[in-house]
Amino acid sequence: MDIKITEQVDNLLKDNGVRKEEILDIIKKAESSGQKLKSKDGNTCIAKGASENLTIYAVYSATELLDVYAHKMNILGITGGEIKPVEYDDASDWICAKCGEVALERNVDMSYLGVTRPGPGLVCAKCGEMYVSAGMAKSTLKTAEAILEEKRA
Amino acid sequence: MPAQDYIPIDQNWLGNAGKLWTTPWVDKPSDRVIVDPIILSHAATLFRKNAGYFYSNPDEAVRMVCAACELYDVTPVGHYLYADYWGADYGAEIKIQTNAPPGITNRPIKTAEDVDKFEVLSTEELVKGPTLATHYKALDTVKNEYPQMFAPITQLGGTMEVATNWASIEDVFMWMITEPELVDKLCIKAGDHMVNACRATAERYGANVMITGSVIASGDLMDREQIKRFSYQPVSRAVRKVLSAGAGPGVYYHLCGNHTDDFDLWKDAPMSPFTIVQIGYDGQKIFPTSKLVENFGDRCTCFGTVDTKLVDRGTPAQVYAQAKEQVLAGKDSPRGFILGTACECPTNAPPVNVHALVRAAKDFGKYEKF
Repeated sequence: MDIKITEQVDNLLKDNGVRKEEILDIIKKAESSGQKLKSKDGNTCIAKGASENLTIYAVYSATELLDVYAHKMNILGITGGEIKPVEYDDASDWICAKCGEVALERNVDMSYLGVTRPGPGLVCAKCGEMYVSAGMAKSTLKTAEAILEEKRA
Repeated sequence: MPAQDYIPIDQNWLGNAGKLWTTPWVDKPSDRVIVDPIILSHAATLFRKNAGYFYSNPDEAVRMVCAACELYDVTPVGHYLYADYWGADYGAEIKIQTNAPPGITNRPIKTAEDVDKFEVLSTEELVKGPTLATHYKALDTVKNEYPQMFAPITQLGGTMEVATNWASIEDVFMWMITEPELVDKLCIKAGDHMVNACRATAERYGANVMITGSVIASGDLMDREQIKRFSYQPVSRAVRKVLSAGAGPGVYYHLCGNHTDDFDLWKDAPMSPFTIVQIGYDGQKIFPTSKLVENFGDRCTCFGTVDTKLVDRGTPAQVYAQAKEQVLAGKDSPRGFILGTACECPTNAPPVNVHALVRAAKDFGKYEKF
C-alpha cells in the first residue's frame, strides 16, 4: 500500500510521539494479518499496534492516513470477564475485518499506573480483539490518564 | 452571607479529606472510607436558612455546602443541583419552594403533537439558558473561592427524568401504555439533550462528571421491560455519546428508588475509568452493599447507601447501625467504595444523624486491602 500522509496528519504523528515508519508498519501488519476494523462502507480501516506503554491506532483509507491516536491505558480484557449478551443495541459502526463480525461497544478493563478500571471499547465477539475509538481515546481516556498521573503521583 | 463572612476551610482537614476522596477513584491508599451524604439544601439548615433560600442563592448555597463538608468531615466537594433541571430552558415554570427543592409547575409538552414538534436545544443555547446560568454561578463560586473543592458536574438524571421535566409524569406514564413509541421519541430527545448539556460543562471546565441513572424509572413505578426500554437503553446510548463527544470522563449512575428487578441491567451500562454506581433500595429495604459489591465491585466504584428516611427520621443509633453494616460490606470493594445516603441528605435531617453516619465510617471503615 502506498499511503499518503498529509501535513496535518504528520503533525498528529508528532503530537502522539509516533514515527512515520512505526505507523506504516502497524498498517502493513494489519493488512497482512487482516486484524483490523473496517467501516461498514469498507472505505476506512483502523489498525492498532500495542507496546508495553502505548497503544497506537492508525485510521486510514486505501490511499491516505486519515487520523492517528494513542492511549497509555493498557487494555486487559472484557469488564466482568466474558462477552455476554447485553440488553441494548451495542453494535458499532465497525466490522472486524478478520472475522466479518460487527464490533460491539463494550466495557473493557484498562490498567494504568497500577489502577484498573473500565473504559469504553470496541470488541469483536468472535476473536476477542479489542480496540478504542478515536473519540474515546482523544477525550475520555486522555483526561482519565491525566487525572491518574496527577493523583497517583 | 458574602464570602468574607465564612471562615476559611481548614487546610489540614482539606488535605486529609482530599486523600480519602482520591482513594476510591485511583486506589491510592488512605486510612478509611470517605462519606458522601450528598449534602445540598441540608447545608442551609446549618445556617438557619431554608431550601428556598438555598436554591435562590446558588453562590451562597455552595459556600454553605463547602462549610458543611468540613463540619461533617465528608467528601470535600461543593455541589449544587436539584432534580427538576432543564424544564425551564424549554419553557416550563420553576417554582422555588420554602422547604423543598425547586419544582416544575408548567411543562412545555402537553400533547402528543408537542412531542413531535419538540426540538432539543443546542449546547450553545443551553449555556445561555436559566438552568446552566444558575448552575455555573454555583460552580464558578466553588472554582474561585474553594478551588480544591471543585469537581464540575452536570445534573442530568436519566431519560425518564428529563422527559418528565418536559411533559407531565401522568402524560408520560399514560403514553407508555397507549403510545409507547411516543415515549421512545421523547427519550431519544432526552438523550440528545443530555449529550449537549454535558458538552457545555466539559467545554467550560475541561472535564465533567455526569449524574445520570434511573430515578423515576424504578421498580415502584415501572416494570423491568419498561425500565429497559425507556431508561436503561436510551441512557446507555446517551452515555456512550457523551463519552465519545469528550464530555466526560466521570459517570455517576444514581439509581434512586427500588431497583430489585432491573439493577443487573446496569452492570453492562457504558462505563469510563471514573464510574460510580449507587443503588437506593432493594424492594422496601436499603440496597445491601454486599449485593452491590457482588455485582459491581469488579467493575467500578461502589457507593453504598444508608436509608435517607432513617437519616431524616431515625435515631443516631439506627443510622450508625445501618452505616456500620454497609461500610463493613463495602470498604474493601476492589474498585473503590464510598459510603453515603440513598439520595440527597434530607433538608431537615438532624445533624446528629449525619454525624452518626460519618462516625460509623471512622469506626468501621478502615481499609484492610492496602
